Amino acid sequence: MNNRIKEYRARFNLTQEDLAKKVNVRRETIVFLEKNKYNPSLKLAHDIASVFGTRIEEIFIFE
Amino acid sequence: MKKGVVVFIVAALVLITTGIWFFSSTESFKPFEFVGFGIIILVVAFAVFIGFKRLSSAKRGEPPEDELSKKVMQKTASLSYYVSLYLWLAIMYFSDRINYETHTIIGAGILGMAVIFAVCWLFFNFRGVRNE
Repeated sequence: MNNRIKEYRARFNLTQEDLAKKVNVRRETIVFLEKNKYNPSLKLAHDIASVFGTRIEEIFIFE
Repeated sequence: MKKGVVVFIVAALVLITTGIWFFSSTESFKPFEFVGFGIIILVVAFAVFIGFKRLSSAKRGEPPEDELSKKVMQKTASLSYYVSLYLWLAIMYFSDRINYETHTIIGAGILGMAVIFAVCWLFFNFRGVRNE
């Protein structure tokens, strides 16, 4: 599974720390997500998509 | 935040107790008696590291634990338990062939388990958990 978190984060001018605070996880988790080293839970994926005001499948690409 | 402070306090108490034990002992230590110190130092170092991570997360306004850190701990616990079984099998096999006291062998086994846990934690913490 790939994701476009970094791209969306840049578009919304958010740092990793800002996004981490908004979705209530540690910055480390955002780093791991962006490096594709961690697949998030459905709740976290939903929260991230909500921050960017889009759907989960726009951010996370299932291959 | 509270958990991090508790970890630091417990680690400090263990270190102080170990220090008092080490410096007040008049007998000279045998090499294998350092196994006990090895266990204490490793466990305390790991606790301080985890406590430091939690405190720094709390300072940034982030939760001290989240789904990734919990998953890393779960994976670490399961893998280290599995590997430790083989460690104890090896210890059982070699215990007949080496001449050490039982408490020394058990101490070495516990130290081995602590090392395995730390290595597994480092492995998952840097490799990540992809669930694939």
